[in-house]
Amino acid sequence: MLDNVCDEKIFSTIYNDYAKDLHDYLYYKYGDQFDPNDKVQEAFIKLWDKCKDVTFEKAKGFLFMVAKNMMLNEIKHKKIVLKHQKIKPKDYTNEDPEFLLEKEQFLEKYQRALTKLTEEQRTIFLLNKVEGKKHQEIADMLGISKRVVEYRIYTAFSVIKSEIKEFK
Amino acid sequence: MDQEQLEKKWLADELTNEELEDFKKLGDYNLNLDIIENAKYFKASHFSSVKGFEHLKANLKEKTAPVIKLQSFKILYRIAALFVLGLTTYFFLFYNNLTTVKTLASQKTSFELPDASSVMLNAFSKAEFNKKKWAEKREVTLQGEAFFKVAKGSKFDVITTNGIISVLGTQFNVKNRSNYFEVKCFEGIVSINSNGTSHRLTQGNTYRVINNVVVVDTTIKNQPEWLDNLSSFKSVPLYEVIAELERQYDVVISVKKEDTNRLFTGGFVHNNLEHALASVTVPFNMTYKKDSSNKITIYKIE
Repeated sequence: MLDNVCDEKIFSTIYNDYAKDLHDYLYYKYGDQFDPNDKVQEAFIKLWDKCKDVTFEKAKGFLFMVAKNMMLNEIKHKKIVLKHQKIKPKDYTNEDPEFLLEKEQFLEKYQRALTKLTEEQRTIFLLNKVEGKKHQEIADMLGISKRVVEYRIYTAFSVIKSEIKEFK
Repeated sequence: MDQEQLEKKWLADELTNEELEDFKKLGDYNLNLDIIENAKYFKASHFSSVKGFEHLKANLKEKTAPVIKLQSFKILYRIAALFVLGLTTYFFLFYNNLTTVKTLASQKTSFELPDASSVMLNAFSKAEFNKKKWAEKREVTLQGEAFFKVAKGSKFDVITTNGIISVLGTQFNVKNRSNYFEVKCFEGIVSINSNGTSHRLTQGNTYRVINNVVVVDTTIKNQPEWLDNLSSFKSVPLYEVIAELERQYDVVISVKKEDTNRLFTGGFVHNNLEHALASVTVPFNMTYKKDSSNKITIYKIE
């Protein structure tokens, strides 16, 4: 029934369904150096311009492809460093400073390890373990098979582990 | 199974219980957990998040304002029709005039039922009734604690997870918390159906179930104390008293090295946290300290 996405209601549904996923994907893959939020907005504006040619089912694939291409045009394969949240002592009933320091150091090692991953390993690992996306969902998002997703998660995990161990 | 395979299965959340035990024996188990556990600190939304649709819409309008297509109106009509259809179905099938009254911690409220019966709701409680069908059956579903003044008429039921309380016209209080069920009758006769047994409660009597032990007691008051901003207890385990303190003051209380199954008889006020804490801790030879504005630790005086 929905042979295009030119209706505003449909369009806003698509936005609400996919904007966050698209944003998280771009963030984990490229960090925040190119403002993933801007890229999301641009991708949706492109979709709106082309709305007559895109069916409801194709919209998701279209968005991910457009956003990825925009990023590729800009990016110069720099090292991506993802920020981590600073530990607030308030989060713990136990405010042992030594414990906090250890945790902070662990996160710094973790951060360094994440930069060693390939874009795809990092994106897939964090989408699964932080955003709780299922293997199949990630596979659909990236247009790859579920087995590849599982394999990437494992390799990402192994790299993180050996990097953290090395700096111990 | 070797380490690599175990890790793969663990990451995919596919370990059987037996394999999980093997996995736990690996030297890296804590590190493995730490890696997954700490990933959340890198969550995207801590640093960057997507703007709402309204923001995008502002940008879209500029570009597309002149191109309004007739076709999009057609689709709009279709959607409008579907919407109306959906709403109608919803009204006929599901919407049954259920009225819900809710209180948060440290809140109290009172409301009237359709027949001028009145209900006073204590902190952190919820009552639900059907306005439309009230004439057919007088029924209130309750979570938490409430005092009922029931107008004379047909059978009036209060449904709780611990049992059903039925009356004709009286005044009574129901307290239905986890592991704690108490009905106090202040006027008339109340019948309680709980766990397959039926019990009749006359004026001035209390029926209490704590951890499946039934106690029948009397009360000399003519309305529950909490209406006067006071909570009172008679041989009630300390943990339940603390739970009530938490509800009345919206605080979190932790108890250090003390058996919270000990019984407490007494009460506390609802308008002064310091006094209330003293009333509960002093009899047990305990004291308290404030960890933050809403966190309190109770501990024994050494």
